[in-house]
Amino acid sequence: MSTQVETEIALPRRAKFHIGDLALRVVAGAAAVLVAITLILIAYKVTDEASAALSAFGLGFLTSSEWNAVTNQFGALDLIWGTAVTSLFALILAVPIAIAIGLFLSELAPRRLRAPVGALVELLAAIPSVVLGLWGILIMGPFLEAHVEPFLHDNFGFIPLFSGTPSNVGLLPACMVLTIMVVPIVASISRELFDSVPSDLKAGALALGSTRWEMVRGVAIPQVSAGLVAAVILGLARALGEAIAVSMMIGGTLGRPSSIFGSADTLAARLASQYQGAATALQTSSLAYLALILLVFSLVANFSAQLIVRRIRRRLGT
Amino acid sequence: MSAEVNPLTVVTPRARRRKLVGVMMEVIATAAAILAVVVLLIVVVSVARKGLPALNADFFTKSPVPFGQTGGGIKNAIIGTIIMTGMATLIAVPVGVLIAIFNTEFASPAIAEMVRLVLNVLAGVPTIVIGIFIFGLLVVGNGQSAIAASIGLSIVMVPLIARATEEVLLLVPPSLREAGMALGATRARTVITVILPTAVGGIVTATIVAVARAAGETAPLLFTSSIFANTVTTDVHQAMASIPLTIFVDSESPSVADQQTAWAAALVLMAGVLIMGIIGRALSLRTRRQIERAR
Amino acid sequence: MLTGAGSTLVYPLISQWEPDYNTKAGVAITYGAIGSGGGIDQITARAVDFGASDAPLSSDQATACKGCVQIPWALGATVVSYNVKGVSNNLKLTGPVVADMFLGNITSWNDPKIKALNPGVNLPSTKVTPVYRSDGSGDSFVFSSYLSAVSPDFKSKIGASTQPPFATGTGAAKNSGVAAAIQSTDGAIGYVAISYIAADALNEALLQNAAGKYPTPNVDSIKAAADAVTTANADGSITLVNPPASAAGAYPMSTYTYAIVPKSSPKAAALKAFLTYAITDGQTFGPDLGFPPLPSAVVASDKTEIASIS
Repeated sequence: MSTQVETEIALPRRAKFHIGDLALRVVAGAAAVLVAITLILIAYKVTDEASAALSAFGLGFLTSSEWNAVTNQFGALDLIWGTAVTSLFALILAVPIAIAIGLFLSELAPRRLRAPVGALVELLAAIPSVVLGLWGILIMGPFLEAHVEPFLHDNFGFIPLFSGTPSNVGLLPACMVLTIMVVPIVASISRELFDSVPSDLKAGALALGSTRWEMVRGVAIPQVSAGLVAAVILGLARALGEAIAVSMMIGGTLGRPSSIFGSADTLAARLASQYQGAATALQTSSLAYLALILLVFSLVANFSAQLIVRRIRRRLGT
Repeated sequence: MSAEVNPLTVVTPRARRRKLVGVMMEVIATAAAILAVVVLLIVVVSVARKGLPALNADFFTKSPVPFGQTGGGIKNAIIGTIIMTGMATLIAVPVGVLIAIFNTEFASPAIAEMVRLVLNVLAGVPTIVIGIFIFGLLVVGNGQSAIAASIGLSIVMVPLIARATEEVLLLVPPSLREAGMALGATRARTVITVILPTAVGGIVTATIVAVARAAGETAPLLFTSSIFANTVTTDVHQAMASIPLTIFVDSESPSVADQQTAWAAALVLMAGVLIMGIIGRALSLRTRRQIERAR
Repeated sequence: MLTGAGSTLVYPLISQWEPDYNTKAGVAITYGAIGSGGGIDQITARAVDFGASDAPLSSDQATACKGCVQIPWALGATVVSYNVKGVSNNLKLTGPVVADMFLGNITSWNDPKIKALNPGVNLPSTKVTPVYRSDGSGDSFVFSSYLSAVSPDFKSKIGASTQPPFATGTGAAKNSGVAAAIQSTDGAIGYVAISYIAADALNEALLQNAAGKYPTPNVDSIKAAADAVTTANADGSITLVNPPASAAGAYPMSTYTYAIVPKSSPKAAALKAFLTYAITDGQTFGPDLGFPPLPSAVVASDKTEIASIS
């Protein structure tokens, strides 16, 4: 009787071949290959479209601030500058606020408030960029022009940064919109990072007599510093690639104004406003060259963030 | 006996300062959180206040009117967004779920890591570049179409769905997998009949989040579906109107009527996104609890 | 059904044609007003059935388009508009003065040059903010062609094109964007297509024509320009900017706007029917929007061109 029971329980058919397994493996593998191919295709296609400009201008494109459809001379310098300035400015504003929010949600908020406030911060991230742009053009821009910029101009106008004429479009309005977009991304990652700090580490510091802030500064932040860097880089990538809201707020001109009230343009915003109707084929190709530069920037940012995360995971042993 | 002072209760000036700094930092952190919530509320309330007056029956049932006339609505844009987002979902969900299955069931850790890397990099490609890519690939020579736009949107959705589905699949307790195999089911059968149903709540949540994101994307539509008729069309080989593009175009118009249309369209979009976000979160919590219980 | 894209100048007219032609011929027209530059790009890429542009194809664009014909199908104008607090409508300006404003040589509204043209007007010291089209625009082409014709300084520094390299001011996309930017910026001066002036209640500046007069931009002054200039250029386009002094009442920034279609197209029959409608029945919608009817000579040569499409 016992032998009957034993033979009834079959061993897992690990070695046996089954067509269903193969089919699923192939199809699932194909899906994975599909995304890799898509990524490579994107890089290839953009480079291909840019080839005329690449051969006409080469790397000099990156240092030229010409953008002239009449003489067919184009250069990316002003746009790279605009992208760098708006993104960095947005990061300078957003990162402290976002880390503070992450801390609040992780350490300070009463337990009952954590979920709702966390949800509200994430909702900020869910606002479509075109809606933020709409709000920016019709409400925030005029508000900045009527109240904030004159205030800055009248009181701090001796600093070149605040010396221009107040305007409802320009670097400042664009940076404000980017800040609003970057904060929730960095905040939610920061919150997860702070939540992941082992509680015995935190408790130890507090038991030794640290204030909560000293614990954060001395224990939590150093513990998650690499992750915070990755979060900031992800926020940077978001700011770099934002085309729609920025194109609505930045004024779309060339130049590198010294005042934040001045208008400029970014790589992504110029693509949004000019890619469809370029006057010459070389201009279209130059715009594709801008897209290539933008792609390279965001790839570098994403890769670095991924590498940092991988190193953290390896260190933590996960 | 002299009154002894307990050294542990003496507050030195230094301690007072440290405590003050601590309190100040907590105030700043709280203020930052309040600031974020306030900004969110300002944006949402502005959209609601400016958009509500324009929400009437016409808005949802009529298409735009010719230049210079008044009235009309965004019926073509609402239907266009639903169709294009729907098609993008039909593409993105199978692809995303299959990638997640590949990573959790078939790939070696190194390969899975690489696939995740590719997904994260794809997620970081600026959507305007995706729009340019699809334009060059599908629109040149053929014309704009809802299909081209949907493919662009699906590229945005796949990384979101794949990552979130992988997370849910990893939450499924290994005991379920082993039980399936021990009963003699093949890998494929186990996945399809045991693991996926357990994870379906998480997949639905991931899909809802991805749909909310795709419905609001403008850049992939700029070059693939921006030349559309002022009438409702369901022909997927033609370009279709969409809510984000309607907002984008009308926001730059000087006419108050157009701006009001933009606000109202933004309100519809935000309401949709918010509702999907709430449903998504609720579902996500429920799925997590279910899986925890199954452990 | 036919799909087209391009000029925002002609868009108001096309948007009247769409429902009317659908009723008359049962054919749906889908038009995307993305700017003349976009129209040229789209038809070159054969992503649409017809393009629309206020700027005729340059020789490079004509080569790239591979056998496209450009057919003037409406007659309109680009108008200089401004928004200065305290200054009412119909400010008088000349081409060279406007050129100076867009070159950055005139920076405030109470500049003596502007004052000289408008003796009775109280001009504030507001800063001049030029507003121009950031996208590829036929209106930009008309505007910069006119300024190049009357200001050698402008011609050498900026020149005529659908995307002139303006050095100062703010850019906005499409006619609607420029109109919105002008409306929301005190001290702004820009250029918009004629239909947008009335539709958005914008101020219009009166430009001095070659005869020294300041005609109001309307169907009469545009028609006067079209009557004065009848010889076509080598590529078949007719340049109406800066008409000769013999046309006393001509508006100096008038322009034809062109449909650009491939000579051989799978939708040739539908295109021919639509284009014929546009230059005949479609013209009746024009005057209300500021477009005088096409001169009969142009209609006749158009019909010949249309016949050559297969």
